[in-house]
Amino acid sequence: MSSPESNVQQPPYEPKIIGFLCNWCSYAGADLAGTSRLSYPPNIRIVRVQCSGRVSPELVLKAFHEGADGVIVLGCHIGDCHYIDGNHRTSKRIPMLRQLLAYAGIEPDRLRLEWVSAAEGERFATIVKEFTETVRELGPIKRVMVTG
Amino acid sequence: MLEALRKKIQEIMPQVDGVIALRRVGKGTAPHLFLPGDDLSELALSPQFPLPTPVRIIQAKYPDKRFAVVVRGCDERQLVEMAKRRQIFLDKLTMIGVACTKEQAEYCRCEMPFPKQVDIGETVEGIPQTFLDDFLAKPREERLAFWKHAFAKCIKCYGCRNICPECFCKECVLEDNLWVTSGTVPPPFPMFHLIRAMHTVGKCVACGECERTCPADIPLTILYKLLKRDVETVFHYYAGADPNEPPLMDSTIFLADMDMLHPPRR
Amino acid sequence: MEYRNVPTICTYCGTGCGLLLEVLDGQVVGTYPDYAHPVSEGHLCIKGWNAGAFVHHPDRLTKPLFRKGNDFVEVSWDEALERVAGELKRIRDQYGPDAIGLFGSAKATNEANYLMQKLARAVIGTNNIDHCARLCHAPSVAGLAMTFGSGAMTNSIPELENSRCILVTGSNTTEGHPIIGARIMRAKERGATLIVVDPRDIQLARFADFHLRQRPGTDVAWINGMIHVILREGLENKEFIATRTENFDALWEVVKEYPPERVEQITGIPADQLAAAARAYARAESAAIVYAMGITQHTTGTDNVVSLANLAMVTGQIGRPSTGVNPLRGQNNVQGACDVGALPNVYPGYQSVTDEKVRQKFLEAWGAAPPARAGFTVTEMVDLAGVGAIRALYIMGENPLLSDPNIHHAREALERIEFLVVQDIFLSETAQFAHVVLPAASFAETSGTFTATDRRVQLVRQAIPPIGESREDWQIICEIARRLGTPAGPYGKFDYAGTAEIMDEIAALTPIYGGISHRRLEELGFLQWPCRTPDDPGTPILHTEQFTRGLGRFQPVHYRDPAELTDKEYPFILTTGRVMFHWHTGTMTRRSPKLHKEVPEGYVEINPLDAERLQIGKSERIRLVSRRGAVETKAWITRRVAPGVVFMPFHFAEAAANVLTNAALDPVAKIPEYKVCAVRIEKITEVERPEKLVAARAGAS
Repeated sequence: MSSPESNVQQPPYEPKIIGFLCNWCSYAGADLAGTSRLSYPPNIRIVRVQCSGRVSPELVLKAFHEGADGVIVLGCHIGDCHYIDGNHRTSKRIPMLRQLLAYAGIEPDRLRLEWVSAAEGERFATIVKEFTETVRELGPIKRVMVTG
Repeated sequence: MLEALRKKIQEIMPQVDGVIALRRVGKGTAPHLFLPGDDLSELALSPQFPLPTPVRIIQAKYPDKRFAVVVRGCDERQLVEMAKRRQIFLDKLTMIGVACTKEQAEYCRCEMPFPKQVDIGETVEGIPQTFLDDFLAKPREERLAFWKHAFAKCIKCYGCRNICPECFCKECVLEDNLWVTSGTVPPPFPMFHLIRAMHTVGKCVACGECERTCPADIPLTILYKLLKRDVETVFHYYAGADPNEPPLMDSTIFLADMDMLHPPRR
Repeated sequence: MEYRNVPTICTYCGTGCGLLLEVLDGQVVGTYPDYAHPVSEGHLCIKGWNAGAFVHHPDRLTKPLFRKGNDFVEVSWDEALERVAGELKRIRDQYGPDAIGLFGSAKATNEANYLMQKLARAVIGTNNIDHCARLCHAPSVAGLAMTFGSGAMTNSIPELENSRCILVTGSNTTEGHPIIGARIMRAKERGATLIVVDPRDIQLARFADFHLRQRPGTDVAWINGMIHVILREGLENKEFIATRTENFDALWEVVKEYPPERVEQITGIPADQLAAAARAYARAESAAIVYAMGITQHTTGTDNVVSLANLAMVTGQIGRPSTGVNPLRGQNNVQGACDVGALPNVYPGYQSVTDEKVRQKFLEAWGAAPPARAGFTVTEMVDLAGVGAIRALYIMGENPLLSDPNIHHAREALERIEFLVVQDIFLSETAQFAHVVLPAASFAETSGTFTATDRRVQLVRQAIPPIGESREDWQIICEIARRLGTPAGPYGKFDYAGTAEIMDEIAALTPIYGGISHRRLEELGFLQWPCRTPDDPGTPILHTEQFTRGLGRFQPVHYRDPAELTDKEYPFILTTGRVMFHWHTGTMTRRSPKLHKEVPEGYVEINPLDAERLQIGKSERIRLVSRRGAVETKAWITRRVAPGVVFMPFHFAEAAANVLTNAALDPVAKIPEYKVCAVRIEKITEVERPEKLVAARAGAS
């Protein structure tokens, strides 16, 4: 069956990336990147969370389900968590979720976890650049997910 | 074996208010609370039915009573994980350990068909989990097709969650329309099943009840057991091994080296 | 302190899954699957898992009620029973026994239904006893009786998974009968060819080798088309036709007019696909037909059923394991309620009321029997109540006010009736019209037997005592009968020690149940009728050596249009059905929190193309209008329905699909045409929603 969309010229693929950034470190790191006028790809849509430990697997899976091509979780370095051990959870949860994605046949590299402090604006820009390229190579998530 | 168990229960009964065990009902077996003086002729042993859930329900109503429970390896490990999360109280519980037979272990593809303390039965070796490696040998696209097909059969009975002793949350994310669209069968890929798989991490002892009760024959334990194996090899966390250890997520274990986990990329 | 699990049978659909009710100190606290059960094998659907959830609901009726104006007052059992008996007696004496109608219940046990029809026939003296089977599978009973001689599922559920080809039509099996649906998927995994003929894109269709989407109401055409292909290509089973059937010659005369190309015009099913599916069905080593209400709930319901029977006979796909014509009965005990005679035209065991010999037998057994003419059906009784010919109705566990077609009409009838008794577990929409409401015990609080769709008689065990002052159905009926005065025959009494004794009486009077007793069921787990003697192991497959009527009879039929076609004013076809998470009129499922949460309100499925054309947005509230009424509900835009077709579940009182449906009846089985009617879709304009306008103004200022 021909759908109405098929007649429309498809724009070239630009990966959509959701970034979950910890309020205390990584979000400030992103801010620093901005105020330092470091350029990074506009593909990332940032969601500020109180702690990277708050990023439950449902949130990440939902992002993929709704069409995010990549999800990146950025938190404080281990030892720097504002809530003492929130990122300890993250450090277990996100790698395990990557395993699960792989077992389920979804490219695990669509999900990434990094630690970015408030002072690491440059590191933030580099990671986002790298990750955007990784996801660009992986292609659209639509190929993977069933919709409807 | 059943006779030995009966004897053991008779021996323990004077020290407790009741014994939770399996009982013959109809053509099958089901959990039951035997009280002092009860007839034990219908006592049963079976690889089916997790007993920790009845323990939780009964202890919640009678927190001051002392119970004994017949445990297989999986029951014992589940109880330990539940105790860590304050769902049951080990200090009010006496465990009667039963080692499963070879046949029972094979039926469950059980890696560890015995509890720590075996009161009844002879310990047999676990079943090697070679089917996990067979599954991993499939290329990624094939794995994806495999699960998409399997999950498309799901009729959203919630049986996997309902039967699971470790699924005791009062509010379940799987029932939340925000995460899993309500009223839709099958639930949209990958929301229902991958969420549940993540929620088993660090709790699942691979009893296999979820797969057994699945009307759609979805091989859920492949997913859960792979995750369990990772938790063991990377975090050295063995679900149900030590009641004094905190739950995996509460522990301060962390990955110093982010590359300690190498998900299969092929 | 008491904790145990009581094995019983699920109270929802006709699959008859085994489940365990988890009881802690007299409270049902949960449900477990029964691993030892031959059909469900430790599986349950979401309804089964929540089967105990409504048992302790605060809305449960716990005391008999009298209506006072628009309110109800609680009364004692004695008062209630006296009044019911008194009124029934008065109306019988004044207007004759046929002014009274009784509804058995497909939710109640065999024992209760048996007593209900015995009350009607032996005590009141009327054949006006029927139940909601009329509204689901009356055409199956009639159509299969005409062709095979027995109106029940020919094979057993577990066999399905070994079938080499399964034709599913008019059944959204994974939602309507989930555990049977799972078996069908298992058969598919084992390499069976799956043919799904359904206007909607149901879950099974995703796994189907052929998904044929017919226009609703055109079933005879495509079935005749398949037979046409089979005969034209010589794929029929000549030996089977010669030795086992009659009237074959008439068949070609009819089906020759249905070449696939013409069928395509009528049904919209591509000719080549229909032919390929016909070949797959005919050539399969074993092929089973599975159908449900999508076949029966039409004015051509009986025609549809006999056409399927023709298809099975022409290919010889019947009488062997994993074949047959398999109607999936809706209610947990609709099969049993029919079996034990809660029908206006037959005594227990399908013994015709017009047969004088049969009447004589029951006259001797009970000591009284009504005249040898058939009583009225549920739909007729409601009609007659409206015109004053039926003066009293005694309704057990049914909710015709929501389940009958053209609800407005049913409501008017019930408002007019002189005396209405409703015996139920909740104050249903129907009960709200009652003069007397009798609180009944639920399936968890009663014992007896249910008969599943594959003629499987199974024990229902009492898990807890009846809630409040509610009583078991069979006890209430006995009380009323005793107050009316029981006849003097050897089986005339209404005084039993328990339900096992009632089953013994059923067995004595019902040849197909002759060998069934609670003791044997306890021992064997189940028995499938016909089971004639105490050592008969039961019959998993019907028609193996010969058909029940001797030779199978071909009943060729021509295609007729549905009673109501679309036109300019009503351009959409409305079809109705179930969703996985609810049950019928929702009295139980909407009181089960986890089920209610899944689908909290009604909706209508609309194809995206239609939605775009009518500019209907996601979840927009719209109005559906038919010639009989209008309802407002939420639009769900989905490709599950084809363009031009809309689908609505019928569980929701506030958006009741049956306000719209057509009460046109099948001429033979008297089933209403729930599956096809013409509607139009109207947008609800802003002007009609003052609260929105006010809000908009407030926002602007």
